[in-house]
Amino acid sequence: MSAPTMAERKACWAARDEFWRCLDTHTEDAPRCEKLRRSFESLCPQQWVKYFDKRRDFLKYKEKLESEGFHPAETAGKS
Amino acid sequence: MALALLPARCLRRLPRLLPAPSRGLSGARGGPPSALPLGRRVAVVAAVGGAAGGAWLYLRARKERERRERRQRELRALALGQGNFQLVDHRGQPRCKADFRGQWVLLYFGFTHCPDVCPDELEKLSRAVELLDRDAALPRVQPLFITVDPERDDVAAVARYVRDFHPRLLGLTGSPEQVKAVSGAYRVYASAGPKDEDGDYIVDHTIIIYLLGPDGLFLDYYNRSKTADKIAESVRRHMESYEPLLD
Repeated sequence: MSAPTMAERKACWAARDEFWRCLDTHTEDAPRCEKLRRSFESLCPQQWVKYFDKRRDFLKYKEKLESEGFHPAETAGKS
Repeated sequence: MALALLPARCLRRLPRLLPAPSRGLSGARGGPPSALPLGRRVAVVAAVGGAAGGAWLYLRARKERERRERRQRELRALALGQGNFQLVDHRGQPRCKADFRGQWVLLYFGFTHCPDVCPDELEKLSRAVELLDRDAALPRVQPLFITVDPERDDVAAVARYVRDFHPRLLGLTGSPEQVKAVSGAYRVYASAGPKDEDGDYIVDHTIIIYLLGPDGLFLDYYNRSKTADKIAESVRRHMESYEPLLD
């Protein structure tokens, strides 16, 4: 399986960005963006979908930290 | 007491020797005797301010210079990238490190199945080289890409990959042992992730662009946050102040 070409990479990134924009407008309401999700999954290699999903999680977490601050879990009290 | 011995006519003169108490406070004639005119005062303040500002700028420039020199000493002590490497370029030609002697090199380690980081960094690298190309007085920089995924990135794969970037970008690959040797020499971390059903996997790796001088030694590095402009500026500074690290 050869690596995606530049054109394929750009198509994948565009589909990902559209899907993420949809998630942003519908505040992570995944079922509303089902069609875009399918398009994203068809245009990107499976590994990349997994990678971008993790990246999305990380970016959202980072955003949350920056706006809400860090609250360590209650169970972290045991030393 | 001596005053009692003076004749009366002398005593009559004494009051005039004492200053009249009211003079100087009302400023009737030109104000306090020790003041400078306004223009002169402005000039003095400007001179002192200018001297202070000049001193501050000088100290700041000196601090920046010392910081750069300290960084250079540290990088030199690291002496990354020593030893030879034996790889194959994307045209199938064998290449070793000595082939790049005499050239300035901007080097990036990546892999062709990379989702986004490698294309971004190679775009940035290409842009930095383009910016430097614009100055005809500077030597031409050789952009270099070395794969950290030799299992999949054979010569053909690397050739397909590099043609999307700067025309001078040269891709290098080799056997897993050869690639491991060169990534070890540059202390590049690379770790292949788990394979999925297609056999596809992502290689986690250090994201750095390395600058090598004409003697083949590592001079500087640029991480993801450095823009193409900053990289070009830094390379130019290195070129202008270059002294060979080895004899």
